[in-house]
Amino acid sequence: MPDDILYSIRNLTVEYKTRGGAVRAVDNVSLDIRRGEILGLVGESGCGKSTLGKALMRLHDGPASIPGGELWFDGRNLMDLPLREMTDIRGAEIGMVFQDPMTSLNPVQRILDHLTETIHTHEPETSDKAARARAEELAERLGIRRERLKEYPHQMSGGMRQRVMISLALALRTKLVIADEPTTSLDVIVEAKFLDLLKELQKEFGLTILLITHNIGVVAEAADRVAVMYAAKMAEVGTAQDVFIDPKHPYTQGLLKSVPNIKLDGGDLYKMGGQPPSLLHPPSGCRFHPRCPFVMDVCRNEEPAFEPVAGDHLASCWIYQTPVANKVIGEQEVHNG
Amino acid sequence: MAKSKEQLSETILEGATWEVELKQVGFVRRLFMARRWYGADWWFVAISAVGVVAFIIVAIFPGWFAPFSPDALVGPSFLAPGEHVDPPILVVPVSSAVQKLQDLAVPEGADSPTVAVLEGAPTGGALNEQAQKIDEVIKDQPKGLRLRPIIDRYPTLSGTLQAVINGTDKVAVVQMMEFHAVKAQYPTLREATTITGVTSTAGGFILGTNDIGQDVLSRLLWGTRIALIIGFSSSIVSLIIGVPLGLLAGFVGGTFDRLLSLLMDSLYAFPGLILAIAITAVLGPSILNIIIAISVLYIPTYYRIVRGQTLSVKEEVYIEAAKSIGARSLEILQRYIFPNVIPSVAIIFSVNVADAILTGAGLSFLGLGLPPTLADWGIDVARGQRFIQTAWWMITFPGLAIMLIVLAFTLMGEGLTEIFNPKLRDR
Amino acid sequence: MSPIAIIALIIGVPSILLLAYVFARGSAGLRRYILTRIVLTLPMIFILATMVFFILRILPGDPVTSALGPKGTPEMIAHIRATLGLNDPLIVQYGRFLWNMVTLHFGNSLVGGHRPIIDEMSERFPATLELIIPASILALLIGIYGGALAASKRKKALDYSLRIYSVVIYSLPIFWFGLLLQLFFGVRLGWLPISGRIDSIIGTSLRTITNIYSLDALLTGNWPAFFSVLQHLVLPTITLGLILSGVFLRLTRINVIETMQADYIGAGRARGIRERILIYRHALKNAMIPVITLIGLQVAILLAGAVLTETVFSWPGMGSYLVERISARDYTAVQSVITVFAMLVALISLAVDVIYSLVDPRVRY
Repeated sequence: MPDDILYSIRNLTVEYKTRGGAVRAVDNVSLDIRRGEILGLVGESGCGKSTLGKALMRLHDGPASIPGGELWFDGRNLMDLPLREMTDIRGAEIGMVFQDPMTSLNPVQRILDHLTETIHTHEPETSDKAARARAEELAERLGIRRERLKEYPHQMSGGMRQRVMISLALALRTKLVIADEPTTSLDVIVEAKFLDLLKELQKEFGLTILLITHNIGVVAEAADRVAVMYAAKMAEVGTAQDVFIDPKHPYTQGLLKSVPNIKLDGGDLYKMGGQPPSLLHPPSGCRFHPRCPFVMDVCRNEEPAFEPVAGDHLASCWIYQTPVANKVIGEQEVHNG
Repeated sequence: MAKSKEQLSETILEGATWEVELKQVGFVRRLFMARRWYGADWWFVAISAVGVVAFIIVAIFPGWFAPFSPDALVGPSFLAPGEHVDPPILVVPVSSAVQKLQDLAVPEGADSPTVAVLEGAPTGGALNEQAQKIDEVIKDQPKGLRLRPIIDRYPTLSGTLQAVINGTDKVAVVQMMEFHAVKAQYPTLREATTITGVTSTAGGFILGTNDIGQDVLSRLLWGTRIALIIGFSSSIVSLIIGVPLGLLAGFVGGTFDRLLSLLMDSLYAFPGLILAIAITAVLGPSILNIIIAISVLYIPTYYRIVRGQTLSVKEEVYIEAAKSIGARSLEILQRYIFPNVIPSVAIIFSVNVADAILTGAGLSFLGLGLPPTLADWGIDVARGQRFIQTAWWMITFPGLAIMLIVLAFTLMGEGLTEIFNPKLRDR
Repeated sequence: MSPIAIIALIIGVPSILLLAYVFARGSAGLRRYILTRIVLTLPMIFILATMVFFILRILPGDPVTSALGPKGTPEMIAHIRATLGLNDPLIVQYGRFLWNMVTLHFGNSLVGGHRPIIDEMSERFPATLELIIPASILALLIGIYGGALAASKRKKALDYSLRIYSVVIYSLPIFWFGLLLQLFFGVRLGWLPISGRIDSIIGTSLRTITNIYSLDALLTGNWPAFFSVLQHLVLPTITLGLILSGVFLRLTRINVIETMQADYIGAGRARGIRERILIYRHALKNAMIPVITLIGLQVAILLAGAVLTETVFSWPGMGSYLVERISARDYTAVQSVITVFAMLVALISLAVDVIYSLVDPRVRY
């Protein structure tokens, strides 16, 4: 595995058993996360991005399972590890920041105890004093005054709680931080501060961050590279530059067109037709085909491969994979708003 | 199951994700599909439902199942379960009109009949005892008959039986088994009933007899009726009073709600049994009074749950939406709040019946609820307590019956809770 | 000093100290909360006592007449009625009743010797305490630990067995369970005594201070008495404690399961915290908060169970006293006993509320 890739996800599938049958929330997805980058993972609600994030730590809710795939983290396939070693990695090498910091913190536990407990779990020989000192230092770095550490979660503001969540994720020598919709519960100003903080941490600690969100604005603001998911599959991956300026997958194109222009001078709002598909009985062939303005016969019958279109810019779309492709692109090119 | 999956996917809304909503499917079909999903809990409910139905059937038609009437003195006292009975029987000439012991009664002043008995056997004592019992009953009757048989004792069985054949004695009273052994040799004699008046049962009583000779099994089966009457009646009364009060309090709020809730909370916190004891002490022992006493106990339970649900549904956004389009209060109550409340009420009802039966049994055990002549499980257990050293079956079986019926209703409530309570489902 | 006074001191003094401490150190919110609970307790006692008063007053017939029975001459009845003030208007009687309740003037027994009721209660009340305290502890230990265990092994064999245990135990009529234990351990095996608090011969050697025999035996160094009391305690405690444990187990299980669904448990898991610690420390601690309030409500079951257990084992406590007095139609005594029960319930409710406020930091701060 090349050295600059921290986490290589290969052919990952996550399946849920529901009353209606087995559902794949993540279906044969491959993705590389490079060291030191902020990778934004976008998609609609229900497209599987949160499940993917959790799966990276092999953390899943009861009825879910991982029937297939490899998770190459820092040279090891996490799928091969026994659960005991997996819990060692969680919180120590890979950390997670959750969407709602109010409910993600134990209401009857002081903030300080949250931190020292995490430290003790992974480094049990640490003395109480040393753990406390480390916790205080970490908190200060993240802008939390040390006197506030003995408070309970409900006594803090939303933004502060989110900082606590980050500090928990960084309590040990974390290499990768998975942030699952971290700004959804924050207002715009706090959100901006939060993203700045993330970028600072990336620079200062050399952190790698997987930023999962449905908000394209957040991704545009903070991400180095962008991955787009649709209906449990990977649609497009590339640098932020590439994806925003020259989106290849029709879904990405539609997504970008739907973002309202703040100047409101573009006339009517663009709306993508159709609805997100049921994952219980997904559409045949390319999952986006019922809503795609460029749909062809092959799209209805066969699934396109997730392949490079131009250099490091990958997409799964038949437009770029058949001889017909060039003709189509020539005829119908779409501009961004 | 494949077919229902097809139907299912057709009814799924286009926008649904992998969380499938079963609400579109009909209730009955849902019940059976639930078996696969809910696993053991479904079985809890199913088995207990069968049990409940069985108990109800026994309660409505105890006569079909019970071999005897619960008050009848059918055998010797303290017979262990399955113990073979060798009752003393009347043996008479084939031509005699005598059928039961009472037939030997004669008017006051007339000659008493003579009875042949084996020397040294317990039959003599049993005969006297039984005769006395019957005599007490019939002497006050208008016909003025008395039953005071004169006993002739013979050294051998053959002598005893011979005495009847040659007319010295009117009847003989011998052990049933003994007679059956030699029956063939006396073709002119026949067996009448046992001296207690019931046709002999050599098989014994399945669950034994109690201290005065009543069949435990029959009393058990007849007791179901009282238990279920108390259980259901009190629960229904509590429901009828508690649910509307809860709806009202939750919906209207304000001082009315606060006052009523204070009253209900106090009532709820107080030990039910003790309150029931107080009420029955005042009203006197009867089934109606027990029902009244017990229903008071459970009104707060319905009230609280219904009120809580009403309050939380009231907060839901769709109620505001309904109000904003002009729905009237009564409509809101009926259409939105009421249906949400029903599953909880069903669960409470089930557990309520179980609890009511337990409390009722406790009351009758203490001797405070029912007249002591009724065939009731609690009364039977209390009776059995005095004879715990000798007749273990007197307390064991009635108590077991209480436990089983309460178990059936409780299991049903438990299972229903797991099924209806969304918070307990796996995410 | 009377045993009741001693017990009141043992329980009362630390409680008041604790309350004072909490008041002084706690935040304004906490103070308000505790005050509110105390203030609300009074109406509760008031309402219950009123109910008792009126229930016993709507007796058909005259309580004094039925109490005295055939021995009562009209003069005796009239005399007693006058002393009891039964001819006064209802309001006056009610006022007197409230006053007497507050000052603990319970009057004398109507039947059998006219003993001051409070004397009788000072023997009976400690007996009940001696039973319900160990029973509650047993029930809590089994219930809470079992509930957490069942929640941790959810949907596996252990979970189902524990759930079946709690349902079966709940359905067991407590008096029947006690009788079965008597039958088995007392009659069949002969290991344990089946009635009374202490062996009658040894009992004469015991000097009583608080009337809690086990305590008294310890205080006076009377070892034979101590062991005799323990022997007599075993069966009743198991009876009452086990039955109660079923309810506690069920409550704990459901609340722990619910708590385990919370986000912070998942977040903890994401930090690598071991599952066992998540369940037994994090989830249980949080689940205990609603469970405490719910357990407080189970006092009702505890007392009701005590009445039946005392009857089965001839344990001379308040419960058996109540039943005895009702059969004897001694309504003054009955009224007093129920009032005491009401006060007990209200006080325990208050205690539970205070404990709850101490445990939940959301209330504290």
